[in-house]
Amino acid sequence: MTPNDKPSVLDAPPVAAPQRLARLLRWLRSDLAAAASLGLLLALAVLAIGARWIAPFSPIEQDLVNTLADASAAHWLGTDDLGRDVLSRLIHGAPASLYASVLAVSVALLLGVPVGLVAGFLGGWVDDLISRGIDTLLSFPAIVLAIAVTGALGIGLTNGMIAVGIVFAPQLARLVRARTLVVRHELYVDAARCFGASTGRLLWRHVLPNTVQPVIVQVTLLLAGALLAEASLSFLGLGIQPPQPSWGGMLARAYQNMELAPSQMLAPGLAILFTALAFNALGEALRVALDPTMRRL
Amino acid sequence: MIGRGGIRFLLRRLAQALPVLVFATFVVFSLLKLVPGDIAVTLAGENATDERIAEIRALYGLDRAFLLQYGDWLWKAVHGDLSKSLLSGEPVMTSIVRCLPNTLLIVSIALSVALVVGVPLGMLAASRPRSWIDSGVMSFASLGVAVPNFWLAMLLVSLFALQLNWFPATGSSPFLADPVLSLRHALLPGLALAAGGVAEIARQLRSSLMEILSSQAVRTLHAVGMHPARILWQHGLKNVALNMITVVALLANRLLAATVVVEAVFAVPGMGNLIVNGAILRDFPIVQGVVFAMVLIVISLNLLADMLYRVADPRVT
Amino acid sequence: MNPIDRDESAASFTLDLGLKRREALALLGGTALASTGLPALAQAQTKGGVLKVAAPANPSSMDPATGGAGSDHVFLWTVYDTLVDWDYTTLKPVPGMAEWATPDAQSFVLTIKPGITFHDGTPMDAAAVKFNLDRNRNDPRSNLKVDLVNITAIDVTGPLQLKLTMKQPDAALPAILSDRAGMMVSPKAVQTLGNEHDRKPVGAGRWKFVSWADNQKLVVTRNDKYWRAGQPALDGIEMSIIPEMATGLRSVVAGQNHMAYGLSARYSPIASKAKNVTVVTGPTLYCYMLFLNYSRAPLNNPKVRQAINFAINRQLFINATMGGVGEPAAMLLPSTHWGYDKGVAGLYKFDPDRGKKLMAEAGYPNGLDITVGGYTDQDAVRRSEVMIDQLGKIGIRCKYINGTVAEASGQFFGNEKKFDALQAAWTGRPDPSMTYALAFGKGAYYNAGRSEASEELSQLLLDSRIKEDIAYRKQVFAKLQRIVMEQALAVPIAFNFEFDAVANNVKGFKPNLLGKPKFWDVSLAP
Repeated sequence: MTPNDKPSVLDAPPVAAPQRLARLLRWLRSDLAAAASLGLLLALAVLAIGARWIAPFSPIEQDLVNTLADASAAHWLGTDDLGRDVLSRLIHGAPASLYASVLAVSVALLLGVPVGLVAGFLGGWVDDLISRGIDTLLSFPAIVLAIAVTGALGIGLTNGMIAVGIVFAPQLARLVRARTLVVRHELYVDAARCFGASTGRLLWRHVLPNTVQPVIVQVTLLLAGALLAEASLSFLGLGIQPPQPSWGGMLARAYQNMELAPSQMLAPGLAILFTALAFNALGEALRVALDPTMRRL
Repeated sequence: MIGRGGIRFLLRRLAQALPVLVFATFVVFSLLKLVPGDIAVTLAGENATDERIAEIRALYGLDRAFLLQYGDWLWKAVHGDLSKSLLSGEPVMTSIVRCLPNTLLIVSIALSVALVVGVPLGMLAASRPRSWIDSGVMSFASLGVAVPNFWLAMLLVSLFALQLNWFPATGSSPFLADPVLSLRHALLPGLALAAGGVAEIARQLRSSLMEILSSQAVRTLHAVGMHPARILWQHGLKNVALNMITVVALLANRLLAATVVVEAVFAVPGMGNLIVNGAILRDFPIVQGVVFAMVLIVISLNLLADMLYRVADPRVT
Repeated sequence: MNPIDRDESAASFTLDLGLKRREALALLGGTALASTGLPALAQAQTKGGVLKVAAPANPSSMDPATGGAGSDHVFLWTVYDTLVDWDYTTLKPVPGMAEWATPDAQSFVLTIKPGITFHDGTPMDAAAVKFNLDRNRNDPRSNLKVDLVNITAIDVTGPLQLKLTMKQPDAALPAILSDRAGMMVSPKAVQTLGNEHDRKPVGAGRWKFVSWADNQKLVVTRNDKYWRAGQPALDGIEMSIIPEMATGLRSVVAGQNHMAYGLSARYSPIASKAKNVTVVTGPTLYCYMLFLNYSRAPLNNPKVRQAINFAINRQLFINATMGGVGEPAAMLLPSTHWGYDKGVAGLYKFDPDRGKKLMAEAGYPNGLDITVGGYTDQDAVRRSEVMIDQLGKIGIRCKYINGTVAEASGQFFGNEKKFDALQAAWTGRPDPSMTYALAFGKGAYYNAGRSEASEELSQLLLDSRIKEDIAYRKQVFAKLQRIVMEQALAVPIAFNFEFDAVANNVKGFKPNLLGKPKFWDVSLAP
């Protein structure tokens, strides 16, 4: 059986939809951190979609006689080194950052989950080969991969985040592989096989759903990681291309002007911090919610 | 401790490591080869002409078959020769020996700070579960994991170096020549990296400690009247140690990769800077050499962790 | 503090930057600090001391023939002397280790000054010069072949005299011999060391090579047998390689180094706050510009190219991206250069309306999309953002595709011909004919389209090199530059000013128009 001999959510009976929603709301009401992070992320999504209408100025409109201005009534967060409104750039940076995180994690999922499933389920030399490959990618300096991929595909936000997704995929693959190794010995899998289910069907209907829980948690953590990775790439000039704003790009520019205007680094840094915090808090809350053993502590 | 089984284990792991080394350098080589941009243009300098660039390519063998170039490099590497930088002619080994100590110093400081601060925090949180101390520590941990480390680096530079002038803002200093100055240079970068490490260690320690403290065996001993510290020592420590070894090994790997951007902010001539500049300029020998070195380091770290694992729990194979 | 004032005149800009009055004058005239031009030996120099310099880049090679980076020269000039020297302010060639004469159209005679020896004791004579020039022309690792392509034969006609047989007269040859091709290397050293000479140079300059720790420090020490009596004043120079400008500047403020060169004017507020540091600045040949591929659509239409030139507010560009320190560029030469022509200067005043009209005349009333290659560092990104904004106002929508320097420039100038334009810089050449030939000549590398702009232009390029007479050449360059700018074959934007932070006890340092500092007359006050 399961190595820990504890009751797990895997054994719980299936729950109907309206009951699920009620459960969700009850969970949110009990866990303040989860509710707050979900709220922040929803607000961010709204900002991302409505940036064009919410931001007071255009993010690329320059005012070369009013550069590095302090906060004022017109410019709530001041202007940057080309006279652009910092608040508007911050707001327009939200969709870029969210798009970046989602893209990277999607690529990681697309690549990592199938690979992990196959490795864990088939075992043997296939598993060995794939595990060596995963080890290789994990011992690689990720930044070189990003430089190489953006060099091949061209520098830009999309290509940079594809590179980040490739870097994250091995972690997911390893996680899915570990779960699969455990799950494939479950009785119900053997039972399904006795009834003649093909490998593919087994993977899709029985193994995959039972690996979902740790994957969901990992996904939220990876979303935060992707956000930080986008910031790093933009900082090195390999991410979003000007004049479009991104939080990482704003930080890179602020670094250049660090001695002239140190306050420029606060707004984008805090934006990244709080968004990553929200993703992490959500992940932590999900992990607690989905694993009943932890609740007792 | 290192019996026959131990040696066999070591050899097996080394054998597994070899293909990883080759594969990693091959992947890097192919990636850089297949992308546009050619060091021949840089080498031709200000007097570039189409003919001169072609001449340079022929001179350095950059127009030979792809596999031939890689094979040539691999053959030399196996014999201990990591070639020379195409751009400056400095032997790659010399560059690595020059840059590695700077990176290692920063990573060591980060790891030490992470342990020195993270372990007590984790223990504190585990000893008072669900209290405000626990919540405080956990919130601090969340912050540490979520903060972009180069932003933290910028804040540290701005405050401690530029405003207060307590530490140098950038650069590094050779350790053997002047250890104190060297440490002063490496402290801020190390701290910037440590934030995530502190959080990770505190969190992991807390959860494994709490798991032990609530287990049947421990609760029984507690009920019988054994002192909690003795319980922890006799029953908790081994499991915690296993867990922490894994966590520290993972953390060390992550820190090595994360130094790149921090090195950029602090202008530290470390491995990160070396490989980023090499990749940007398509200076193959440098990139190959650094990847080789970093993979070796990571494999060694993992191996060390596994050996410690075996010491702590001989059942592991 | 807001360094950029609302008044757009250059004068108030420089003063509002917090620069001292002396420096402000230097920016406006380029002459206040670089006074007489020729190295002034009049002031009393204290002998002794080791100058500590913060250098922004590692040399690519210490051998003049095999290196390729413009940043190498500062290092090279410590250990090598050149056959020809130049005037610091105008770059007019003057005799260095040799004097030259052109008795007839096919000959170029070099007479070497007596008593010069290399650092290893071997004589610097005609045989040594022949060895060097032949090496520069023929060695497979030499990057200098194209500079000396007009020489067909070199004959030693006396112990200190050489005759070069020329395919055609080359008025640029003296200037060429003031640069890499004129840096004389000891033949014995090259023969014994081979490729190792890249890292262990032996020349005939004021200082001898001591050591080079890659990317860390390069050290040279006094050459006691230097042929000019009484020089150098410095006992030695230690050049620490600090790529980060801010770090370099701080090392000078903190007293660890005596000077840092090649800084950006953005750091003037910090430099001017420090009491022990002076800012030294002066014009250079380094020109930020847009290279254009004018041999294919859409930039093969001269009206579009002219529109671009009208659309750029060069002074605003300088204020926003160069810390307000720079000279708007009207052609590929700055105003202090001997080849500058005032007549061409007024062609493109900032006039976006005229730009829009030209676009309409060109057949693009609704605007035009072009691709531009750019670099990824923050300064380049900032420059591209200003360009996007300014060109956008006349309807030219720029899509920037950024890459590393090798990538982007290789893709634009090389076989790929990837973008319509490249935003980069021209680092300048010792002789203006080299600049125009390399940038606009038919088949030249930096002419992306490789096409011939006009027969007249090609003829003028040849004419500019046949006679050495400065007055004649000025005329030719005036015509050349008029054609280039009227046709708008490129978009020169602004000349960069050299920006150095120098400790107060460093005497005798003068910037030069080439923008590559020489420490030849520097001394350290006690």
